[in-house]
Amino acid sequence: MGVIIVLIIVGVVGYFIYQSLPNTKYEKAKNLFNTKDYTQAINILNEIFEKHADAPAKLAECKLSLGQQASGKTEKTKYFTEVTALRKKISNSATFAKFDSIEAKALFELSKIQYEEAKGNIEKLSQNIRFIDTANQKGSESNFSSLKTKHFSDLAGSHFKKATEKENAGKHSEVIDAIQSYTLARDYAKKSNNSLIVNNSTSRILICQLKLSQSVSLVGSSEIEKSDKNYQKELYFRYAIHLLKNKEFSKAEKIISLHLNFQSSDIDKLKEILRTEKVNNAVKTVAEINALIEKLYNRTLSTEELKSFYDGLDTASDELGIIDYELSEKIADIKPTLFNRLLTKNIENEEYNEAVNIIQKYPKFWESPELLKNLGICSYGLTAKGLLSERNYKIVISGWLTSVFSDNVILKSLDDTTWDDNYTFSLTEAIGSNYSQHEEIPDNVNYDDVSESNISIGATQKELLQQFETIIHKEIQDSKLSKVVNEFYDIEKDAIEKIVAQIVNDIFFATPYFAISNGLNNEIINELDNDYNTYSNEGALEAGVPYIKNSNSTVVYQYFFANDLIDRVKSAIENENSGAIKKLNTKENKKWIEKFDNISSSVEDNLFNSISNKISENDENEKLMSIMEECISFSKHNEKLKYQFSGYVANYCISKVNDEKIDNFKALSLMKSAYLRSPNNPKIVKNFITLIRFNIMDMLNDQTRKNKDIYNILDWVKNNMSQTYKQNCDELSKARREILQQLKQSGADISLFDDDNPLARLHLNLGQSLNAQGLKMKRVLTYLKELGNDQKSTNPLDALSRLRQQLNLDDDLPI
Amino acid sequence: MTNPYTILGVSQDSNKAEIMKSQMFAMKKKEFPLQVIAVAAKQLLDPAKRLAADFMFPAKIKVKRIQPIQCNLKHKEINIDSLNENAFNSLK
Repeated sequence: MGVIIVLIIVGVVGYFIYQSLPNTKYEKAKNLFNTKDYTQAINILNEIFEKHADAPAKLAECKLSLGQQASGKTEKTKYFTEVTALRKKISNSATFAKFDSIEAKALFELSKIQYEEAKGNIEKLSQNIRFIDTANQKGSESNFSSLKTKHFSDLAGSHFKKATEKENAGKHSEVIDAIQSYTLARDYAKKSNNSLIVNNSTSRILICQLKLSQSVSLVGSSEIEKSDKNYQKELYFRYAIHLLKNKEFSKAEKIISLHLNFQSSDIDKLKEILRTEKVNNAVKTVAEINALIEKLYNRTLSTEELKSFYDGLDTASDELGIIDYELSEKIADIKPTLFNRLLTKNIENEEYNEAVNIIQKYPKFWESPELLKNLGICSYGLTAKGLLSERNYKIVISGWLTSVFSDNVILKSLDDTTWDDNYTFSLTEAIGSNYSQHEEIPDNVNYDDVSESNISIGATQKELLQQFETIIHKEIQDSKLSKVVNEFYDIEKDAIEKIVAQIVNDIFFATPYFAISNGLNNEIINELDNDYNTYSNEGALEAGVPYIKNSNSTVVYQYFFANDLIDRVKSAIENENSGAIKKLNTKENKKWIEKFDNISSSVEDNLFNSISNKISENDENEKLMSIMEECISFSKHNEKLKYQFSGYVANYCISKVNDEKIDNFKALSLMKSAYLRSPNNPKIVKNFITLIRFNIMDMLNDQTRKNKDIYNILDWVKNNMSQTYKQNCDELSKARREILQQLKQSGADISLFDDDNPLARLHLNLGQSLNAQGLKMKRVLTYLKELGNDQKSTNPLDALSRLRQQLNLDDDLPI
Repeated sequence: MTNPYTILGVSQDSNKAEIMKSQMFAMKKKEFPLQVIAVAAKQLLDPAKRLAADFMFPAKIKVKRIQPIQCNLKHKEINIDSLNENAFNSLK
């Protein structure tokens, strides 16, 4: 009993001791916190504040919760401040880890309260931002960040409002202050992503700057376009006035037409000012032009002034056209006279480059024989003076040739002299026409035969060409330039000669470069198309090819395209790219080639020659075989190609087999394709049969592992024997007979190897049979018999014929 | 290649006799080599070649004489100060 009492006492004492332990108390406080009995929990936690490491944090959490539950700002502030005050009481550094995040929440709550109180007050908002920036934010960083953004947004709004108030006051110094406030508003708006205030502030800053007569630039500001529409109106209106004050009239006009495009008497006033300015300018321009005209006829106008006068006429005419159309026309009318003066001066001063330039800029200059002749003179002069360069030689040469090939240009020369009055001139040999095609010719010009008194215009043209050719052949010092110039000259001359020879109608003939540069090429191509459509003359299409540019819908282009296909195949042969030929080998492409006889009939020769070139480089190139097969398939006419292919394969196989570079089976496989294409070529057939024999003997002597593949080919041959094959297959029969003879000499019963032999059936009935080696021998002998002369295959013609048709080989059927 | 008319110093309209005479004169003057003078004379005495030489004289383009341009427009003074800069005040 005493023991029990002692135990009870010890138990009770132990219980009280346990209850008074900090851990136990902390657990109790936690339970009270969980049941939201914060006051009781606070009492316990205060007791163990320094005894339990987590007590301060829990205490702070209780006060935070009480603050969050509280209804009044004062009470809330009291609790949150108490939380922050706990930091000073904490002595255990391990406690801070949990406390920091609770304190941060309390600080956040405090800054929220302060933000609510500060709304609209720039000073207080700024103060609270500083409070946030210095606060412990551990674990609440994103909350603080969002709150700060709200501050920025409020500050942006507040500064913008303040700025508008100052701007409205209207005094100079206040407008300056307004700019500062708008700038702050824009900065805070950028931080809070408030694009409306950013855009509006930008516009208002510019308006204020304009009010202060400061210079502004509106270029590249997308913010203005997104700002308030009324702000935009005010800004652009003020800006237009600013530009007008600075005499930037064209800029002002652009601003008005782009941004002030609405009805308003104030806008009309701006437009009226612009018009007045234009009228004043027009008056000034006309006065200047009249002064220049006077100088021109006083002969005091220098070449530079004349050039500047001429160059500025178009702009002057365009500008005056807006004010007074008739005045603009009058200005434009003086251009030909100035042009003539300038050109004459340039030629007199031997400034040929400048002369060529202004001629080329003159609208449709080629329609004037005079201008075309002067272009020829300048081109000649430029070349004779050694001024040809890589930059100008195409313009110069095409200009010269086009000028000399124009019969009208030469005819025009006749107008300027009297020495020729006693002569007549014949166009019969003229190089600028192939027919009596000029509709209107002068009285002293005819198409009669050339005589002493009837002078050949063609001879004159040829003399001019010869003189020019002498210069470009002999007098260009730079050898590289000389080469490109002479090549270009030959190409251009050849092309214009061809179109002159083809075209019947009296059109303007130009070299390809001249025609393409001046947009005349399609007229020439259309003439050539017409010629082809009327006479099926493919020469006309050939002549048109150098003139192709943006001419895809013409027959000339189709002709070029078909030719290009052949060139691409030839290029693929050169590069040993059979895949490229395969891609080009389409029905559509073949249709284009077939359309033109010239091209179609020369395809085979073209491809044959290209392949021959490749063979001459390397006559043992196996890669070439697939290319040749593709070419046979590509060309409608392919006899020569097939012969070329088969011969090449046969030579390859003979050489490689003899040198033991390829085995008999590979040679047989290759020769099969040669036989397929030339089944009645004795050389091919004989070599093919020999390879059949080699392969059969290899099987018999166990010298190959490709028995199955060999038998496949032999089975194919059985069904595809050409007449030439049948005439030359004795070799196989002979081989069979020799084998049988050897078997017989060795004592074998040869009747066992021939099913057609009646004795073979008798042996079978008697139960006599061949071992594996014997069966192999029997199979070989059977194939030799079937492929040799001893037995003809049944109706092989149809099968071979069908296969050959599939491979575009249908024009060479076995007899 | 110098123009044969220039070598012989004759006009574009000169006749055969004048050309031959000028050839003699040019040979005496010795401004150009004899062979050049001979080639120039030969060129001008051959009508087809003479026409080629004529080609090198620039073509004259017929144009009108330019008359001073009459303008009925009158100069006016521009008064920008009369504009109301506050016409579109957007803060009202």
